[in-house]
Amino acid sequence: MLFSFACSSKNPVAPTPSEDSALSGGQATVFDASSQAFEMPIPTLSPDELDKFFAGDTAFEQVFVTAPAELNPGLGPVFSHTSCVGCHLRDGRGRGAFGSEPPFVGSMLMRVSLPGFTPHGGPVPVPGFGVQLGDRANFGVVLEARVQVSFYETTETLSDGEEVYLKHPIYTIVDAYQPLPAGVLLSARMAPPVFGRGLLEAIPESDILALSDPGDANGDGISGRPNYVYNFRTGQRELGRFGLKANNPDLLQQTAGAYNEDMGVTNPYFPRESVSGQPQHDGRNDDPEILQETLDITTFYLQTLAVPARRLWDDPQALQGEALFESTGCANCHTTTFKTGNHSISSLSDQIIHPYTDLLLHDMGEVLADNRPDFEADGREWKTTPLWGIGLTETVSGVPAYLHDGRARTLLEAIMFHGGEAEQSREAVRNLSKTDRDALLAFLQSL
Amino acid sequence: MKHITLSIILAFSLAACSSDDNPVAPEPEPDSGYDFSPILTDFSDKTVIPTYKDLANVATELLTAVQNLKTNPSAATLATARAKWVASRTPWEKSEGFLFGPVDFSGFDPALDSWPVNRTDLEGVLGSSDPLTKTSVNNLANELKGFHTIEFLLFDEGGSKTIEDFTPRQYDYLIAATELLKDAAVSLHTSWIASGENFRAQVVNAGAGSSTYTTQKAAVQEMVNGMIGIADEVGNGKIADPFTEQDTRLVESQFSFNSLLDFQDNMRSIQNVYLGGYNVEAAGLDEFVKSKDSALDQRFQAEIQAAITEIGKISFPFRDALATDAAQITAAQQAIATVQQTLEGDIMSLVLAEQ
Repeated sequence: MLFSFACSSKNPVAPTPSEDSALSGGQATVFDASSQAFEMPIPTLSPDELDKFFAGDTAFEQVFVTAPAELNPGLGPVFSHTSCVGCHLRDGRGRGAFGSEPPFVGSMLMRVSLPGFTPHGGPVPVPGFGVQLGDRANFGVVLEARVQVSFYETTETLSDGEEVYLKHPIYTIVDAYQPLPAGVLLSARMAPPVFGRGLLEAIPESDILALSDPGDANGDGISGRPNYVYNFRTGQRELGRFGLKANNPDLLQQTAGAYNEDMGVTNPYFPRESVSGQPQHDGRNDDPEILQETLDITTFYLQTLAVPARRLWDDPQALQGEALFESTGCANCHTTTFKTGNHSISSLSDQIIHPYTDLLLHDMGEVLADNRPDFEADGREWKTTPLWGIGLTETVSGVPAYLHDGRARTLLEAIMFHGGEAEQSREAVRNLSKTDRDALLAFLQSL
Repeated sequence: MKHITLSIILAFSLAACSSDDNPVAPEPEPDSGYDFSPILTDFSDKTVIPTYKDLANVATELLTAVQNLKTNPSAATLATARAKWVASRTPWEKSEGFLFGPVDFSGFDPALDSWPVNRTDLEGVLGSSDPLTKTSVNNLANELKGFHTIEFLLFDEGGSKTIEDFTPRQYDYLIAATELLKDAAVSLHTSWIASGENFRAQVVNAGAGSSTYTTQKAAVQEMVNGMIGIADEVGNGKIADPFTEQDTRLVESQFSFNSLLDFQDNMRSIQNVYLGGYNVEAAGLDEFVKSKDSALDQRFQAEIQAAITEIGKISFPFRDALATDAAQITAAQQAIATVQQTLEGDIMSLVLAEQ
């Protein structure tokens, strides 16, 4: 049974780092370097908040089954996985594979759309498929399509002659129950880590916008654009913060969308089955399949997951790497420090945090481009990935997989995949001595 | 880290001062902390791997039993198959104190132990004319496979099923699902051993080349977290969820009435990690704790035993006890909570205090 791990009701006596740099999440930091490092509650939660956290933890691990059922009905008719945690492994990075076949351990999904924009400014659903391929289905339901992945390899040679092999995926849609229209746009995405998201939600919008430089006015080759997306609850156009293209305004909408699209679980926010109007529809009059309360506690859980402390924060090699992270320009987008503003959850307010993201969109080059716009994010742009906790990826998820579709097997590969606005930084890393490169990687592993 | 750096500097300066007429070899760097190597090695070799080995063995016996059930259907062969199912639960529940590593990230846990069973789809498959081979059943979701699907097919509600209730397709499904269970158990064992995927090396070499645990402390923290996780799950999940809601549908292993034994074996899993060894003597975390605080060690051993005893006093079966034995359920929860608190507080603090 997949079961609850986020169990420590109190943060055990923590070492007291004399450097604030170790406290990646401010007071919302935990000292854990085990596979549970991403599953811990913020230590300053009140007893009531902690109860809510644990209820949300249970919801996050809840395994859905086909309706009707006594327990957890609502799965499907088409879906990618049967639980949240099935893809967001221990709240961390997923596996860089599709999980539509046994042993169902993949953590990827395929977004689809047609060119253009909906009246809300979002991606245009593909008739018969919607905006995401249902690559699994309940018994007796025809799945929408599966994705086959093949790879080709390229070699990047570093200045000291070391070679880095990059594995490039080629996605092919197979077993489609009806032909996909010509010109369909695809975007393969791997489940990202979900801890620390409450802190990101609490960063003042003005501080994010202050970093944006859409026209590259300062001429550093880096633009940094905010995504503006549709909030389905308020009906407003709002700053996007969550999702790999910053395509959701807040954690509630992100969560509600994931229930609906990833598990086929209708909810008060998105009460229509993702296959409405398609032959897969179950014809049951049981929507929404979960209550608002479930959505709320799952959202609360995501908001209150703590950030693991940086390890080896005073290690000379890691410190040298930290300086290189600045000097090579990585920190121009992977913004080291923010201060959170006010949040309804007081533990999230007024914290000095080190997320290593600016939450803005950047052109990452042709190689990483999905060529599928998502609201104002264009086909070459991705949101800067937060790097906090990234050094614990293998500990938490087993086989490390980085970037939006998990194609990079190591952090060095991930760096060498960077292009577009990150090209200068990538080349700076290419030209580092082995000692410096190792220091940079040691720094990343310390996060 | 500061501490280590200082000692190195100190060692160098001592050597420099005394270098002329009375040469003294630089003192070996003082041990920077407790050496967990023997504990991590025995944890892998004498607790984890033997537990998984036993799981694979009993799952193989279960497969033989369900094959025999199909060939010779009778009340007796059904009873044997059920007994083997119960027997196979023991090593699994005794492994839940260390639900990390391949069991988690390679997907063995959901393959073996998904809950709830997707009964709607299971009825659909059984009612269809789809082939029921190992391959075809493997293609079905985890919620149609594993311990609890097999349990449902063998027992039905509260063991109400009789041999007359079995259909030919149920036998075929049962055999296919059990073959898959056995395969998963064997692969889980292989994932740890040196001749397999060798996750053992990540644990044994913690702090010495392991990419999963860059310090021994991280690996030991993993062990303690594993124990905390199952104590929490038993006390605050497996018992609390159905008890608080007074809802028998939430009871684990409800078809077989095996819940209380499951809970006890979960606590024995903690015992095995702490004392070391699966039915064998081994170095456990107790050696570390004893070296720091022998009274704590004694107390914690007693607390684990008390939790096992208190669970055992809950009236059988657990699903009926929900309504009739609240006092004892509460007592058991308290005993389990005590185990959890000691792990989270005293024992984790000792671990984190290590360099």
